[in-house]
Amino acid sequence: MLEELDTLKTIALTAVSAAADEPAVEAARVEFLGKKSALTGMGGRMREVPPDQKGAVGAKLNEVRTAITTAIDEKKAALLAARDAAAVAGIDLTLPGRPAWRGGLHPLTQLQDRAVKILRGMGFALATGPEVETEWHCFDALNTPADHPARNEQDTFYFPNGWLLRTHTSSVQIRTMETAVPPVRIIAPGSAFRRDEIDATHLSAFTQMEGLYIAENVSLADLKGTLEAFYRALLGPKTRLRFRPHFFPFTEPSYEVDVELHLAGQPARWVEIAGCGMVDPAVFEAVCQQRGDRVYDPERVTGFAFGMGLERLAMILFGLPDIRLLIENDARFLQQFA
Amino acid sequence: MLISLNWLSDHLNLNGLSVDDFSQRLTFAGVEVEGIEQKGVASDRVIIAQILEFSQHPDADKLSVCRVDGGPAGVCQIVCGAKNFKTGDKVPLALEGAVLPGNLTIRKGQLRGVESQGMMCSGKELGLGQDHEGLLILPADAPVGSPLGDYLGSDTLIEIEVTPNRPDLLSHFGLARELSALRGAAAGAAGEAGEALVLEPPHQVAVKRTDHLAGAPAVELPSEACPFYTARVIRGVKVGPSPAWLKTKLEAIGLRPINNVVDVTNYVLHDLGQPLHAFDLAHVRGGIVVRAAVEGENFEALDGKTYVLTPDDLVVADEAGALALAGVMGGAASGVTLTTTDVLLESAYFVPSGVRRTSRRLSLSSDSSYRFERGVDPLMVEAASARAVGLILELAGGVAEDVLVVAGQAPVLTGEVALSGDHVRRLLGSSISDDDISVILRRLGLGGPGPSSAGGAGVWQVPSYRQDLQRPVDLIEEIARVAGLDGIPSRTMAHFALPGADDASYDFALVLKTKLAALGFYEARTIKLVSTRQLDDGLGFDRRRSTPLALKNPLSEDHTHLRPSLVPGLLAVAAHNVRQGAAAVRFFEAGTVFAQSQNPKAGSTEAQALTVLLSGPHVPPSWLKKAPYASDLYDLRGVIESLLGRAEVRLKKIDHPLLVLAAEISIGGKVVGLGGQLRPARARELDAPDPLYVAEFNLGMLETLLGKDVRYAEIARFPSSTRDVAFEVARDFAHGQIEDFFAKQIKEPLLAGVVLFDVFTDDTGARLAADRKSLAYSLTYRDAGRTLEAKEVDAAHAGIIKALTTKLPLTVR
Repeated sequence: MLEELDTLKTIALTAVSAAADEPAVEAARVEFLGKKSALTGMGGRMREVPPDQKGAVGAKLNEVRTAITTAIDEKKAALLAARDAAAVAGIDLTLPGRPAWRGGLHPLTQLQDRAVKILRGMGFALATGPEVETEWHCFDALNTPADHPARNEQDTFYFPNGWLLRTHTSSVQIRTMETAVPPVRIIAPGSAFRRDEIDATHLSAFTQMEGLYIAENVSLADLKGTLEAFYRALLGPKTRLRFRPHFFPFTEPSYEVDVELHLAGQPARWVEIAGCGMVDPAVFEAVCQQRGDRVYDPERVTGFAFGMGLERLAMILFGLPDIRLLIENDARFLQQFA
Repeated sequence: MLISLNWLSDHLNLNGLSVDDFSQRLTFAGVEVEGIEQKGVASDRVIIAQILEFSQHPDADKLSVCRVDGGPAGVCQIVCGAKNFKTGDKVPLALEGAVLPGNLTIRKGQLRGVESQGMMCSGKELGLGQDHEGLLILPADAPVGSPLGDYLGSDTLIEIEVTPNRPDLLSHFGLARELSALRGAAAGAAGEAGEALVLEPPHQVAVKRTDHLAGAPAVELPSEACPFYTARVIRGVKVGPSPAWLKTKLEAIGLRPINNVVDVTNYVLHDLGQPLHAFDLAHVRGGIVVRAAVEGENFEALDGKTYVLTPDDLVVADEAGALALAGVMGGAASGVTLTTTDVLLESAYFVPSGVRRTSRRLSLSSDSSYRFERGVDPLMVEAASARAVGLILELAGGVAEDVLVVAGQAPVLTGEVALSGDHVRRLLGSSISDDDISVILRRLGLGGPGPSSAGGAGVWQVPSYRQDLQRPVDLIEEIARVAGLDGIPSRTMAHFALPGADDASYDFALVLKTKLAALGFYEARTIKLVSTRQLDDGLGFDRRRSTPLALKNPLSEDHTHLRPSLVPGLLAVAAHNVRQGAAAVRFFEAGTVFAQSQNPKAGSTEAQALTVLLSGPHVPPSWLKKAPYASDLYDLRGVIESLLGRAEVRLKKIDHPLLVLAAEISIGGKVVGLGGQLRPARARELDAPDPLYVAEFNLGMLETLLGKDVRYAEIARFPSSTRDVAFEVARDFAHGQIEDFFAKQIKEPLLAGVVLFDVFTDDTGARLAADRKSLAYSLTYRDAGRTLEAKEVDAAHAGIIKALTTKLPLTVR
């Protein structure tokens, strides 16, 4: 039997080695290791083996079964490995990928959100107001006299019923104070409208961000600290600001804010970036009168307000030569910011 | 406004102040410097030199070596490339240290081994014109050794923008007064000595007063728009050209010299800020009356145009009619000309609002109206008149009558303001001392402080030219302006505000916008104004009930209405990008849409909309997919479903004038938007090569429906069973009917889900009649607490099919 087993082993190993695919290996397993295989049959013939040879034959049986099993496992593994290799052979990973559409937020939205996130981090909450406004909210309450040039039909869009398109987001200051009580700490991003011909630096409808903080003892020092912190967070920690005295009807003192702009290959220069000031007592008085109470009594509360044009900021930050790029919505422009 | 530094030096010693310092000082005084222009040669290191001799440079064919006489500067050796001169010519010589236009600083140096002690200049090199052909050859009488700037005249012009609250700065004297105050105040506050200032007070000539012109009735001031009027008669003047100094001054700031009398009035206006007007007395008949114009009164102004006036306008008139539009412009007939011998010089105070009204209504602005409408100094009225009379006598001769015709009196527009140091410190957040506050206010011309009132406030007297200073806060602004912000700390301690409803809406919109960006759409931001024609592109989902909002005074035909929908703007964006060759147009926009309010007293109804526009290949063409199919309605719907996430979206077919396939989009029975395919005729107008799909949502409604907190639903732990069924229906039968039936009619508790997995039609009629359609569904059954047995599932399934086949026109295939 020992010779028989050796012969069987040689035949089986040859057959396994010759198997070309997984079904052939499986067939070989059934043929050489299955219940009806010669090897299994020989196992059943052990009782015919003389007792002194049982040990040697038994060991041989095990050896042959193990050798065939191992050969089959190895063959299977080799075939699987070959199949896995074939599955990725011929793939050129330098070819372009299967494209999906790209999209993105408008650069002005991205910039506005950056600003909103910074100011929220500084404890401001959002506020809104209507874009179609009354003269009272847009001008009178903001201490702008009836014959002020801005109230001209040359400069402001009006409706037949006397309402107008707000010329600044400052009207949200009034809307907020009408309903909220101090302390008030809000920002209001939104549209403003001026009757300007559209050209490389002007839009008739543009985007502003208003800020307002009213509480007891708010001072110019708070305004200075807040705007410095904001612009440093937005433009970099080394950003320098300067406050130029200016005039707005609804703040006193009033300032225009410049930031120092460093562009590669150009000398540093100051660019105007915002207007701001301490809320004028006349604004508080107008609000008190409208509310019918004294919670905004200028003897009790003070506040600061600021406003910035987001298109202008975008032009500075992104190096845009023409403001109209922001309303043209050319996909080749938008994808640069995606 | 243009300011000449030469002119300013008449009032203020500018020595030691560079143009940059000057500009900086104005900037921080709140006066915007819009431009600086150098006229003539500013550097005194550029002198007049005479060429003594010259010879060929030993090592350079094109250069000459010249010896020139620089007067006090001595004889210099200069190497020169020009050829257009001869011995004895006088030329500009830039000595070492001269700074030429373009910031070129001249140094001594060697040119090809020969020393050159400066540079002889062309006109262009000095900024005196474009001639670059050779040296600027000066007239023979040019004084050798003198600075060229002195000989030719030089000036620096500064274009400034004065804020409307500071009319006192609209003159050279006013600006000098301000600069001297700032310089003094700054120096005083810092404890340093200020420089000597040449601040000549305006002439104050005492004359007798009368209330009428000789032989005429008293001057009448019936209108409150003119509280104070003066006139002075000068007889026997000789009208002619002004002298060079006056012409130069006026021309420097862009004014055209006319004649000596008119030039004097213009000079005094720009010098002292008080507008004056000179009438030819020969054209004044009878007495002067400053009155409201008569409705329809015609007035021919100096500009040659005839204006039709209303009673809102104020005129200076004689008994024959209007002589001048008060404070705005003189009349064509009564102006001073070369034949004038007797002059009536007017100096008055006109109330700002009246001048502003007339100037605006007639679109007629002048240097005079510009100042009156901002508010002139009432105390300057007489002083300016006296100054002008003096100059006219000096330049045009004649004799001034020794009486000043006066009507009314100078209004008192400024008064006392009480201010406490604590108030200043509280509003500025600084620790500025009471002494420093006093120094600043005094330098600005305020008198005081008077005796403290209760609360420690000192009382300050405001000068007549600072009508903007009425309240304590006005004075605090001045203190902050002069002291600057450097001394104020930067404070960042503050109350914080909690996010509210506006924050929630902002965040909700941003999440949807970000989702659409991830789904392959670019956000567009279009102008909120549209044309009348574009209104037809509107898709507001309540458009049937709303009226668009029209502007009263649109600027152009393109922007006549506020947008009722975002679709008009996005269609224009699509058309632009198609024209630019874009393969696909995939955009969205979020923003305000407007409609006329139902309430006639209210402004508008404003809502936030979110709109998606889609056209072109459904995936980008590539080597993997060379010709992808064009996006269709189901791509749009897929985008909507991805966008709205867990919400169950339903579309219901409607008719819409803009859409060929139109649907109301609803969530939970609430209509949240409209969408569909743009009518092909409209798409063709936009040159869109593929069908164009749009959907517009009401963001507010989406937020209400989707912005709520989610309640967890238990995840199934036991296996489910599925059963498939195909129904045969008429070709035009909608899947939505079956969907609705499942939603509303089927109450089977074991049914966990229904999915449409196949839609089949056969136009040939071979496998299914051509007018029929097969809809195949996969139904999932599940119980939360156990595994279902097959017969339970079969029974439930059979019940559902029976219900469907009984109630709907369909059969099981």
